[in-house]
Amino acid sequence: MMTMKLLEKKLQKADQKQAALYLFCNFVSLMIITAYSAMILSPTVLLVLPEGGDSRKQMTAVFVLALFGCTVFTVYASCLFFRKKSKQLGTLMALGASRKRLAPGLFREVLMLSGTSSLLGIFAGIPFVWLLWNGFRLFLVDSEEMTLRVDFRFLYLSAAFFVLVVACSCINAFRYLKRTNIMDVVREEHRNEPVKQLGRWCGPLGFLLVLAGAVMGYSAPGVYMNLFHAYPNALLNLLYAPVFAGLYLIMLHTVTHGWHIPRKNPYKNLISRSMMKFQGKQTVNNLLVSTVLIAGGSFAMFYLPTLGVSSVLETASRPFDYFYHYRQDQHIPGEKELSAMAQEHGMAIKDFREVPYLSLGMDGTTQMEDEGNAFHIEYIELLEEGKFFSETDYETLTGEKISVEKGSYYAISNDEETVTYYSNTDASKLTNMDTRHSLSVSFAGFAHYGLLSGRIGYYILNDQDYSQIARDLSAPWMGRCACFNADGTDNYAFAQDFYHTLVSSFGPECEYPDTYDRIYKTYLNERGETYWGDTDRMSRLSYDRPDTTDFRTYWAYMPKSRILDRSDFVKNFAVFLMMFLFIAIICSLAAMVIGYTRCLTIALNNRSVFEDLKRLGASPAFLRREIKSQAGPVFQFPGLMGMGIMYFLYFMILLANDGKFTTDEAVGMAACFGLLLIFAGIYFLVYRFTVKSMCRQLEIL
Amino acid sequence: MLYVKNLHKSYQSGNKSYPVLKGIDLSVADQEFTAVMGPSGSGKSTLLNCISCYIPFDEGTITLGSQQLKGLSEDALAKVRNEKLGFVFQDFMLLDGLTIRENILVPRIIRGKTGRDAEKLTDQLLALFGIEHISDKYPADVSGGERQRTAVARSLINQPLLLLADEPTGNLDSKSSRTVIESFENARDQLGASIFMVTHDSFAASFCDRVILLKDGRVYDNLKKEESQSAFQDRLLAAIKQMSSETV
Repeated sequence: MMTMKLLEKKLQKADQKQAALYLFCNFVSLMIITAYSAMILSPTVLLVLPEGGDSRKQMTAVFVLALFGCTVFTVYASCLFFRKKSKQLGTLMALGASRKRLAPGLFREVLMLSGTSSLLGIFAGIPFVWLLWNGFRLFLVDSEEMTLRVDFRFLYLSAAFFVLVVACSCINAFRYLKRTNIMDVVREEHRNEPVKQLGRWCGPLGFLLVLAGAVMGYSAPGVYMNLFHAYPNALLNLLYAPVFAGLYLIMLHTVTHGWHIPRKNPYKNLISRSMMKFQGKQTVNNLLVSTVLIAGGSFAMFYLPTLGVSSVLETASRPFDYFYHYRQDQHIPGEKELSAMAQEHGMAIKDFREVPYLSLGMDGTTQMEDEGNAFHIEYIELLEEGKFFSETDYETLTGEKISVEKGSYYAISNDEETVTYYSNTDASKLTNMDTRHSLSVSFAGFAHYGLLSGRIGYYILNDQDYSQIARDLSAPWMGRCACFNADGTDNYAFAQDFYHTLVSSFGPECEYPDTYDRIYKTYLNERGETYWGDTDRMSRLSYDRPDTTDFRTYWAYMPKSRILDRSDFVKNFAVFLMMFLFIAIICSLAAMVIGYTRCLTIALNNRSVFEDLKRLGASPAFLRREIKSQAGPVFQFPGLMGMGIMYFLYFMILLANDGKFTTDEAVGMAACFGLLLIFAGIYFLVYRFTVKSMCRQLEIL
Repeated sequence: MLYVKNLHKSYQSGNKSYPVLKGIDLSVADQEFTAVMGPSGSGKSTLLNCISCYIPFDEGTITLGSQQLKGLSEDALAKVRNEKLGFVFQDFMLLDGLTIRENILVPRIIRGKTGRDAEKLTDQLLALFGIEHISDKYPADVSGGERQRTAVARSLINQPLLLLADEPTGNLDSKSSRTVIESFENARDQLGASIFMVTHDSFAASFCDRVILLKDGRVYDNLKKEESQSAFQDRLLAAIKQMSSETV
């Protein structure tokens, strides 16, 4: 005997094909979110990415973006499922089944479908992240830090998203049931969703808004700080909002008008444009989400090339194979010991040079934080440590002649002066930290020697001034810089041995990062204040872990070795590389799923139009062209806009950093462009696959 | 059987109201086969949807049997649709996942009365409409005419007071249309059904006992069949022509 329950079961079985896309989207979204959650909460990643640092913020921002994108395409897939289901529901309601009667069966079906596919997605997310991570270890890079450790609290995030997905499905089910007009429910499948049209001005205005929003959002913090002497609130990021409004207008223009010139041929793509217009609402929303996801993926993709290229070029341009520096109270291997070490590795060293420097207190002005977000500029007599050569010693080390006038000093930068940010150019007094004698100085300009530029500030004094200020300065406040070349082919094993020997030669008093400033610490301690570097806020380095990214990047006495830096660059940044590659994959995957889902929807919704075109005599070639005209914009515009915007943003960041666009940066951007081409190629393959699927759905040969 | 008095219905679009039914008065007697005809936009389908309890109406009364349809709760309306009304739609609205036999039984399944008498009645309906040979097939595997006859059989399974048909021959060829009209005649003659049909098709309407002409949301004319089918069709066409010329 047939009952309502059996009837519903039978109808659900018949629905399986229609539910396929819904199940797929649920599964993929949970898999993506689970995998991403596992990554961002992984102790492996959290240990390497500095807390409060930009990379963590970027990782979190992209997670929010991925969450949003996955929510969108999941909700969209459920709406699609209900649109197909509505005819069934409407028929049953027309035949006298009340909503109360239909509700339990419908909710049971929704819970079963969304619950099962979402759970499977969660389960799939774990092997997915394991495979991806270990695939990278196998084919790209492996290091001690790369062992994936998982904190299973990430499942809370997955569970929360699971609840969201299921809740959205249930809300959708409720919405469809609540419709009062049965005929609307029955005809839902064929309902059009036209988007509100604006004039052809909306596209150009969109581009202007994107540009304005990007510039405003980027420059606003600086302007705010200059005007109000306070750190900006997070609300200032709302100035980026025009970017999203602009993107919406661009997508709207794409859907409603296209980018062809109407005067030339007003009937060009008329059919596909009209189909697009009447399904415009969801198309515009989907294009927007895809664009933002592709932009996020591109952002992550660009991280390594921009970091890596400048590093590779800098390493290659060094005048010496090895450079190191140390405090004179440390017992560090000299030329003799290093030569012996080199011999053990079947090589020799040459061009060994070593010169002294002084660690002096430099005065200057700095931002001091006040209550709230305000700050003020304050002069500090002992602001920071500077390492000073005499002009003669500088020439001995570098081979470059320089004449420094008495009472002045030079800061050392690279040739393109892109790291002058780290130099103190407004010091007026240098202090001997033992005798507290001071020397009045003024900044005279930059000397250029790349090996001595960077986060550690090196400077040059006049010989007489140098001798004067050096009087009675003790060993902890004096140092030595040394450099040498490999005689013949360099040896990686020697470089490793040199590095580890050097590290083990330093005492615990040198176990700190380059941001730790002894001068400023002394100043604060003398005033009875605690230096932040002596609190938990300072990242701790350890000689026991000299091969970690943190140690290699931040140790105050980190040597430079061309062969080591070149070979280990990828290893040192392995976790960063992995993380950003993962982000790029997640965002791109989400964008591709959205594109695929949207195109299939367009095909299904316009089936009757394609049938009518066939009856009117349209050839398969014509119909394929129409399909491509539908699918093309769904893939092209988000791809072009997302990648284009991010490329432009990166260019702006590099330019705004120091007001220059250097050769290194140009090479980095070229590398980014290469990556974009690869991604575009993959995206194109997905587009081709989607078009084939659409043709199959519409039975077009 | 069915009494419609002073029925008004309008649709809202933004701030504008578009009146579609402007005071319809009509009735359908027991075992009567009635058609409603009129030009596009005259309000035929809206009238049918109001009687079917698919959409609410603004003013007037609709009485089915002894029951007024205004102000009923949702559950009560659902009960009316299930037990007192039968429906035949232009696009059949069969459920693709069920066989022909199962589709016919759907109103009974909703009602919760699928015992032996329901099976027996289903067999009778299958035989009456000549579709026993496809009872285990699915809608996608049968012709349009067979689907529509299935829909007619489904509309009668609960032995309703009134069978409502919205352009039942609209998607069919002439042979299939004839078969469907014959099904309605069989339902009236052999099962005592009352039928209310909306149609554009004067040939289909000429088989009815009475034809109501609608124009601009009002009853224009009420034509009772007193002659042969072909003569009645001629009279219908003349009346329609007259109605159209008055518009011009």
